[in-house]
Amino acid sequence: MNVCIKKLMVWLSLWALVGSALAEPFAPGGAIGSQTDDGYNALGPVVEQPFEFPHNVHAGQMGINCMYCHTYARRSAVSGIPRLDKCMGCHKLIESVKDKPRIKKLFEYWDKKEPIPWKKVHDLPDFVRFNHERHIQRFYFREKRSIRETCGYCHGDVASMTTARRVKALSMGWCISCHQKEHLENASTTKTSNGPNDCWQCHK
Amino acid sequence: MSSRILDRRDFLRVLGIGGAAATLAGCGNTSIESGKELVMSYVQPEDFVVPGVGVYYASTCTQCGSGCGIMGRVREGRILKLEGNPQSLISAGKICGLGQAGVQVHYNPDRLRTPLMREGDTLKPVSWEKAQASLNSRLGPASTLAGNQIAFLTGEISGHQKVMVEALLESFGSDNHVVYDALSTVTGRAASKAVIGESLPVLKIDQARMILSFGNDFLGSGVSPVYMAAQYARFRKAPRGTLVQIEPRMTLTGANADRWYAIKPGTEGVFALGLAHALLAHESYAHSLPAELEAALKPYDKDTVSEVTGVHAEAIPHLAGMLWEKSPSLVLSGPSAEGHVRGFNNAAAIQLLNLILNNRGRSLLGSAVHPFPQLVSATGSYSALVKLNQDMSAGRVQTLLLVGTNPVFTAPTFLPFANNLSKVPFKVAFVTQLDETAHQCDLVLPLLSPLEDFGTHVASYQPSGVEVQIQQPLMEKLYPETRGFGDILLELVKLRRPEVYKAFPDYYSYLKTAVTKAKPVFKATTGDDEFWEDALRSGVLRLDLPAAALESKEGASVVQVDTPRVLDTDVHYPFFFVPSVRADLRDGRHANLPWLQESPDPLTTVVWDSWVDIHPKTANEMQIREGDILEVQSATGSMRAKAYLFPGIQPDTVSMPLGQGHTAYGRYADGMGVNPFKLFDPMFDEKTGELALYATRVIIKKTGENALVVKDEGPTSLQQNRKLVATIGADQAQLAKENAHVTE
Amino acid sequence: MSLSNLIKNWSSLRVRRPYEGQYKGKDYKWAMVIDLDACTGCNACTTACYAENNLPVVGKESFAKGQAMHWIRIERYWGPGDHMTEEFPQRGAQFLPMLCQQCEAAPCEVVCPVGATHHTPDGLNSQVYNRCIGSRYCSANCPYKVRYFNWWQYPERAWPNPLELQLNPDVTVRSKGVMEKCTFCVQRLTEAKNRARTENRLVADGEVTTACAQACPTSAITFGNLANEKSTVAKMWQAHQIKLASDVQEKDDTVRGYRIFEDLRTYPSIVYLEQVRDLEA
Repeated sequence: MNVCIKKLMVWLSLWALVGSALAEPFAPGGAIGSQTDDGYNALGPVVEQPFEFPHNVHAGQMGINCMYCHTYARRSAVSGIPRLDKCMGCHKLIESVKDKPRIKKLFEYWDKKEPIPWKKVHDLPDFVRFNHERHIQRFYFREKRSIRETCGYCHGDVASMTTARRVKALSMGWCISCHQKEHLENASTTKTSNGPNDCWQCHK
Repeated sequence: MSSRILDRRDFLRVLGIGGAAATLAGCGNTSIESGKELVMSYVQPEDFVVPGVGVYYASTCTQCGSGCGIMGRVREGRILKLEGNPQSLISAGKICGLGQAGVQVHYNPDRLRTPLMREGDTLKPVSWEKAQASLNSRLGPASTLAGNQIAFLTGEISGHQKVMVEALLESFGSDNHVVYDALSTVTGRAASKAVIGESLPVLKIDQARMILSFGNDFLGSGVSPVYMAAQYARFRKAPRGTLVQIEPRMTLTGANADRWYAIKPGTEGVFALGLAHALLAHESYAHSLPAELEAALKPYDKDTVSEVTGVHAEAIPHLAGMLWEKSPSLVLSGPSAEGHVRGFNNAAAIQLLNLILNNRGRSLLGSAVHPFPQLVSATGSYSALVKLNQDMSAGRVQTLLLVGTNPVFTAPTFLPFANNLSKVPFKVAFVTQLDETAHQCDLVLPLLSPLEDFGTHVASYQPSGVEVQIQQPLMEKLYPETRGFGDILLELVKLRRPEVYKAFPDYYSYLKTAVTKAKPVFKATTGDDEFWEDALRSGVLRLDLPAAALESKEGASVVQVDTPRVLDTDVHYPFFFVPSVRADLRDGRHANLPWLQESPDPLTTVVWDSWVDIHPKTANEMQIREGDILEVQSATGSMRAKAYLFPGIQPDTVSMPLGQGHTAYGRYADGMGVNPFKLFDPMFDEKTGELALYATRVIIKKTGENALVVKDEGPTSLQQNRKLVATIGADQAQLAKENAHVTE
Repeated sequence: MSLSNLIKNWSSLRVRRPYEGQYKGKDYKWAMVIDLDACTGCNACTTACYAENNLPVVGKESFAKGQAMHWIRIERYWGPGDHMTEEFPQRGAQFLPMLCQQCEAAPCEVVCPVGATHHTPDGLNSQVYNRCIGSRYCSANCPYKVRYFNWWQYPERAWPNPLELQLNPDVTVRSKGVMEKCTFCVQRLTEAKNRARTENRLVADGEVTTACAQACPTSAITFGNLANEKSTVAKMWQAHQIKLASDVQEKDDTVRGYRIFEDLRTYPSIVYLEQVRDLEA
């Protein structure tokens, strides 16, 4: 985005500062695929991918844990697109679907040892640092929520989609709305705390 | 690291373009987006590679010859930052600014990306096949070159790259390996060898209670500055050592001295002999020199010495008193003392003080004998270039190969190197970026950057035991049309000596074989692959060996003691001219790195430019203000630069920094300042024949023009009674107590 | 910080005077000690900062206008007074690595009209680039002059391809019109805290350091957590008798520690140790 627009954003926020202390959250869009309507649903555009990866088959029908493929999410800031040999680990052995066009495509990339040029669906501004590891560690490993709920809070019900589509606004107000809530510190306590309220936790 | 031993090259390959093409932060995305940026996956990474998490690989810095172990921080297949390798004895996890800027050699926008071949007056891009064919036709089995008709001109070089250079030459029956260093240290080394017994002895800076340095910039542009700085930090801890520096123009080391003396350039030897004379007055040191030498020192009384050197007479007994008291001490000679007609004798007289003070064996040790002499760093000299220049002029050189040196830029004007270079029918330059010399060659081959290539190095200064430093790629090569130096040479040697080299498909396999063959020397009991993997992982092969004893046959007898004589005044050229060597730009080979150009010179804070240091008192007399454009004229040449009023300089001396003034070295170097290499007069050390870099005399003329000196310093260089940098006397500070509190 | 939070808590988010024991029982308070006797002025720290923090090289013309972007710079002085008393600087130079002092009562924070700079719970003075409107009040109010303004759109001119491949993805590349400054390498701190949190512990002493401290060949810079009394940095603050919340330190004459412009009551997080000189030399 160019500088002018950025400046405009800044001035809008200034205006908001002066004009209204109760800026209402921006919440257009429908609720398709989201599990909760927290007022921040905002359906993103359909993103054309190199081929149609069926999340509904993997996560839905097969019930594979999100972290089986997005293995970096629990140990890195980014969840990462699965490494190609991860796909091949299974698909080399699954004869029944080998002739399907998208599996053929997968094999093409593998044979060339080239990565698949996926398009990023959840892309935050460059000045924002979102850490997957922290959220997974807190809500999945400590609070023992289900993986579909943990990931789904931001990504929606991916198990019902083919290629992923953004369903939440991913706006700062939305982040804050959750950070201000009291969350259980772990599954075996009633002690709660909320998310950090410090600019540098998320802004870089 | 993973338990699986994986071939390092496989790792780089499987990382694939996925890594290199990963999207960048900060390229303008300021809103929430979908489907605009690509997010590539790895194809088949090592298990320890996690997107978003940096991985560190060990390698060796090649920015200077110190051989610092470095760690490269790699993320998503890109090298982001270089840091010191804690496993390296030399760097001990630390790194200098020059070393850090190694990434800018690699990512330099002016990198050469394809081979170039001469077509008339210009160099035209050609394919590798064509370049290789040209090389093969000249240097292949059908070559008619014999003996020293082929020469290889390199900068300081060590390890298996040196072995390959010499193997290629040897396949022609040539031993014409010319090692040139524009900032040659040969004179000082020769004097040290003669008097102390070793050209580059181990300096136990941390053991010395006092260091007396004659222009030795061990913290800045000297040999192994990162190692020396760590030693220096220990020297400054309790019991705190005292540093005294004597030089015509303040160096970075001088700026850290407890006492700094300005001396007339070239009179350092006189001062040292005066000090020797004073030292012998003490009963413990009397008769430590041969009687005739002692007698010859008689005329070196403090007043005579003061008159010759311009240093206050009381400095001599004062320093002698300190040296008596603070033992062991360490006396160092440096380039500003050595770069004179009597440079060798100056250095020898300075080293003589170490003999008198009995520092040998205490703060001065011998270094260990390297088990692989063929890998040891080849020291560059000026006289080697002179010899090559004569050979070229006489048509004795048919083919010249060049790497790691830029003599067209650094050679003095009276040595018409560029002219004679044109007499060589076939000249091949191996470079990562075009420079002034490569521009005059017939074939220019683009090398992998040091962060993309394999290699081994042996540091020129080995502080303890011996080491072989390993260099390995930190990322996949940026440009397909670049090749490794070792690979190109190996291809050539294979053509000529297939029986010896055909077993090696590439330089990597050659290197691996050579290094693992050395396994018994390093007393390793692991398997070959494991040994190699360990070497790559730690970046260094280390062997603790005892220091050799320091002995010299000649010793004190080398020092010639003449009657001290006041330097002649030159009516035409009234000023002494001394160059200053910046720790980052050195001889100019690093002027293409933007971080270094914008890194202020520590003493003047000037950036992106050349300047003329002149003492404020002299400037005042001549009515020169900062920024006045001065014409600096020697018998050889003249150039213009802005005046900078610098108090750390002898008032009859002016100084200019080396390294700037490039004309064909990329966007960051070209047009920045001037090149004082072209100012030097033909003055040579009478013993070694090295160019005397500090012996030129100049005249300063005002041009009447003035321009802004671009510098970081504000309008004042004084603290104006604000407590910015407070100073406490060494007798008051309680360093031992401080330290005890922290370590308890 | 949400807008509503910012407005609701405006006064509490403004700077108050620090008080003794402010960080007692807290997890982190980042602080530094710079030993001026060990600093040789070599500039390794400044280059490390360029590499770590995506600092743009501005070029000669911009540098001449004072637009250099070095978050840490080495100032060089020739004497304490306002004129040189000797012909030569016979005690060498005085080098001063100057970077953001991460003041506890930061003058910059109070003047920002949009709350783009404020204090973090671990005692850092933060700068949020996308909130900054470039009023430059903060820079004007900073007594240390360590805030740097982006006069140009550097992403488009400072990193010609492929130099941009060197950029640290953990740090934003700032665009024209915003202020920036030393962050104590907050990206490294965040990473270390994250790692520690996953392992259910606090960041250990020595586990994380800033790029400048890591590079420094003489180890003149010590960085650490002042809230941890056993950390090296806390011990050094104690040894040099510096109290974070005091503006007049009661200390022995022989103690080297001091903070710059303490009398301005900025309560900096950086302690400098006096340069030592053998005055008998």
